[in-house]
This record gives sequence, structure tokens and C-alpha cells, in this order.
Amino acid sequence: MLSFVFRRLAVAVPTLLILVILSFVLMYAAPGGPFNSERPLPPEVLANIEAKYGLDQPFWKQIVNYVSGVVTSFDFGPSFQYKDRSVNDVIAQGFPVTLTYGFWSFVVAVTVGVSLGVAAAIKQNSWVDYFAVGVSIGAQVLPNFVMAPLLLLVFTLWLGWLPGGGWNGGQWQFLIMPVIALSTSYMASIARITRSSMLEVLNTNFIRTARAKGLPMRRVIWKHAMKPTMLPVLSYLGPAFVGMITGSVIIDVFFSTGGIGQFFVNSAFNRDYSVIMGITILVGTLTILFNLLVDVLYAWIDPKIRY
Amino acid sequence: MLPNRAAVEGIAENMHLAEVKGRSLWADARTRFLRNRAAVISLIMLCAVAGFALFGGLVAQYEGDFVNFSLIGSNAYLGVPSLETGHYFGTDSNGRDLFARTVQGTGISLMVGVVGALVAVIVGTLYGATAGYYGGRIDGIMMRIVDVLMSIPFMFVLILMLVIFGRSIFMLFLGIGLISWLDMARIARGQTLTIKNKEFVEVAVATGVRPLKIILRHIVPNLLGIVIVYATLLVPNMIIFESFISFLGLGVQEPATSLGALINEGSRTMQFGYYWQIAFPLFFFVVTIFAFFFVGDGLRDALDPKDR
Repeated sequence: MLSFVFRRLAVAVPTLLILVILSFVLMYAAPGGPFNSERPLPPEVLANIEAKYGLDQPFWKQIVNYVSGVVTSFDFGPSFQYKDRSVNDVIAQGFPVTLTYGFWSFVVAVTVGVSLGVAAAIKQNSWVDYFAVGVSIGAQVLPNFVMAPLLLLVFTLWLGWLPGGGWNGGQWQFLIMPVIALSTSYMASIARITRSSMLEVLNTNFIRTARAKGLPMRRVIWKHAMKPTMLPVLSYLGPAFVGMITGSVIIDVFFSTGGIGQFFVNSAFNRDYSVIMGITILVGTLTILFNLLVDVLYAWIDPKIRY
Repeated sequence: MLPNRAAVEGIAENMHLAEVKGRSLWADARTRFLRNRAAVISLIMLCAVAGFALFGGLVAQYEGDFVNFSLIGSNAYLGVPSLETGHYFGTDSNGRDLFARTVQGTGISLMVGVVGALVAVIVGTLYGATAGYYGGRIDGIMMRIVDVLMSIPFMFVLILMLVIFGRSIFMLFLGIGLISWLDMARIARGQTLTIKNKEFVEVAVATGVRPLKIILRHIVPNLLGIVIVYATLLVPNMIIFESFISFLGLGVQEPATSLGALINEGSRTMQFGYYWQIAFPLFFFVVTIFAFFFVGDGLRDALDPKDR
């Protein structure tokens, strides 16, 4: 088991490095520097500024500096647009917000999705099943950027129940719409996967044996069917995580929650390269770590996997 | 006793009636698909949407980039959808005809989806078939690369690219092309692994056909069914992907537009009661995505006998 984890890590680390180097090369290849504006600066001023940010050094030195800064001290460098703060400040400000509603969205998507799927599979062809299937088909066409305006329309403009945006320290009223908007389509996918997986498991021999020896249905489902059912769900969690962390950009922009997504898009419009890179790398790291976690969990649950 | 000549001729003439009409895989698939009511209706809807995107411009009374200055500021009563003014879908907040803009947006969204799927089909199939056919270390390395690329949150990298190289529809296509083939490569590889042990491939190897030719002539055609299915399912995902970026304002740039950009614009003005500005683009978005998913599902049921 331990060697399996190490082998996965051995892949994860180069992946991360590739991501860092890729984004740095992209940034370096950008036509025009971050300080080229419509009103050109005098060359000596420009040279001074570039020297301050280390942009006058040769390419290999810049990249080594950047990578070693990221690796050794999680230092993503200064922001090119805001002189008073570094990329780390931006992340420290926005990341807790993203993490909060991201966490809740994930919890909601998994718990609601799995319970809906299991209920649908157990009561196949009943109204529960039709309801679950209907919801999961409908939610397929409701990605976060469609859900967000619709929720805002219903709950803020028509009903007036919830505030239309903002964060306010993460009070629950401000949390509801981002969480629903972010989790809906993933909840639907999880429900669909759980349902078909559970139906398959319920038709296997070992479940029939368990039923035949007189175990109550509840026990069969919890003790015997649940574990194999969760395997396909587990392998979907990786993509779902990527999707949610990407969707957080929409949430931040639409609901003005102040997470990293908002900084990301603002920096994208301001050509604030270092912030964009920092966030890209942070998100990439999270994704890779999460995938690693999923893989380990998978190997732990599924005895058929040799590691 | 000899049978009489007329009878023999009669039998010979009618021989073709007794022949069993062969049914190809594709004919079978077609009957199965046509029996799936949701898929057929979706296909018709899809044709309708495509027709709207292609020929809607002929019906529109205004150009999509024509700004009717007399309407600015009086959207609430003059810009509403109406047949009399010729603004069938009303106007947007800049006084432009929303019908013409929706036509353009639908067209661009469809194009993005189809191009993305096309790239996925060409690159992904060839990549996956090559990896699967050679197997061994080549397969390992090629699929590891796919794994690595898949675990990168590409939306962020794409936005980084859009920022650095400028926001253009070409960059958008490039970015979408970069990621769309990954899933397809995995699917094609998996299928190739089962195909490559079939007799006809062995025969080809034994008669000395070159590997590249085996892949192109013998393996890829046999992948086609499953590739078509996943390409159909990929199109809506590409449309969603593009709309996502355009929703943020980073994708298609004005005066061109896409459904995502229109939904974004509409969502900004719905608080003033201009619901038509979000309703029409949203309607076309939802219908298109729905239809593609159902057609894809129908195709899978029809072409992929394993899943039935």
C-alpha cells in the first residue's frame, strides 16, 4: 500500500512541475511585458521596474527563481498590477472563501447524489426512481452558469428570500445559492452513476446469497452492496472536483463571493500574469492531490486492485 | 420427367424473393435508433436548431450588429419581443436585435461544439488506436501522458492562454482542441485492445501490412461506431465549455457572440424585468444540449450492443 502511494506521488510531482513550467513558459512567451501600457513608459523607468521584478534576467534564471520560490517557500511572487500585495496575499484572501462553499458543494453533491441514486435503484420503476432519473436528466443541461442566474431570478428577484450576492463572512444565507448552483449538475451525475452501479450490484450472486440466507434488505444494502456500488462513484469524484473548482470561477464572478475565481478573472482582464499563474498552480496542485487521494481510496476499497 | 420450361423460368424469375436480405450493422443500428422516440424527436429538434442558426439570418429584420439608438433606454416598452417592430426576440440592452444575435450565437456555439468534437475524433482516435495497437511501453507512455494532461485543470490553463495570446476565437478553438481528445483517446485505446486480437488483424499482420496501414485501414473503421457515439456526447460538453468561457467574457468577443455570452448579458438585465433577454438564449442553449444528449444516448443504444 505504502509503495503504491509513493508510486502515485512519483507521477504527481512531475505532473506538477510540468504545470508550473508550462504556465511559466506561456507567460514568458506573451507578446509584450506586463508593464507595456498604452502610454509607454520611458525606457529607463521600464528597465528599473523590470529589474525590480527580476524580468531583466535571462529566461532560465527567471524560471529557476520562480520554481524554487514556489517549491521551497510557496512564494508565488508579487502581483504585477497591485504593488501593495503579493500573489500569496490574494490567495490567502480568496482561498478560504472558495474552500468553504466548495467543501459544502462537494458534500451536498455527494450525499444528495448518492442517496438519490441508491433510493432510485432500490425502488426501481417507482415514482422515486422516475423522480431521480428526471432530476438527473434535467440537471445535465443546467451547468453552473445557467443555474446561477436562474437561482438569482427565483430566490432573490421573485421571492426575495436570499441575498443576491456577497459573502458576509460566510453566513448561511450567502452560502445557499453558490452551493446549489455549483453542486447541481455534479449531484445529478453522481445520482445517475450510483443508480446504475447499484442496479448492477443488486443483480449479482453475492447479493442474492445474502438475501437468500435471510438478511434484511437494509443490512444487505449497507453491508454488502454499498461498497462495490461506490467504486464507479469514487472514480467520478476526481473529474467532479476539477469541474467544481473550475465552476467556482463562475460562482465568484456571478455572486461576488470574493473567492479566488474573482481574482482570477480580474487578473485575466488586467493581464496580471503572476496572479493567474499562482492560482493556476494552486488549483493544479489541489487537483493532483485530490486525484491521488481518490486513487488511494479506490485501492483501499477495491481488493481486486493490485498495488 | 422434365419440369416444364415456363415453371423453371418462373422460379428463376422469382428467386430474388426468396433471398434473405442481408442487414448490415448500420441498417440494424438505424432501425434501433428510429425506434427510440426521444432520440428521433431530439434529432428533429437538432435539425430545427441548426436550421435556425443557418437560415435565421434570412428571417431577421435587422443585422446583429445594428444598434437602434432610438431604443436605448426604452427597452422596457419598445424593446420587447414583438412581430410588428420586427424584433421577434426583442432587443438587447444596447438596442441590437436579439433575434439576429441569437441566430449568430447559436451558430457559433454549434460550430465550436462540432469543431471540438471533430478534433477529438481525429486526434483522439488516431492517438488511442496507436497506443492500443502497439501496446507495451509505447502504450504506457502515451496513456500516462493522457493521464497527466487530464489531471490538469484545463479551464485555468486555457484562460491563461487566452490572456497571454489575446482573446480570439482561434485561441478558443485551439484550447478546446487541446483537451477534447483526451477522453476519446482513452475510449479508442480500450476498443483497440479488443480489436487487435481479432483474426482479420492477424491476417493483415501475417501478410505483411505495415502497422500504420493496419491502424488506418483495419482498426479505425471498426472503432467508428463507438467514436461516433462519444463524439455526439462530446459536442454538448464542448458547447458548455465554450459557453462557460464566454459567460466570463473571455471567449467570443463582440460584436460576435455565443450562447454563453448572451446568457451572461441576459442575466445582468433580468433584474429590470427584461426576461426575454435571458429567456431566448437560454431556451436555445437548453434545447441544443438536451437534444445532443438524447441523440447521443440513442446512438449509443443503437451502435453499442454491449450496453443494451
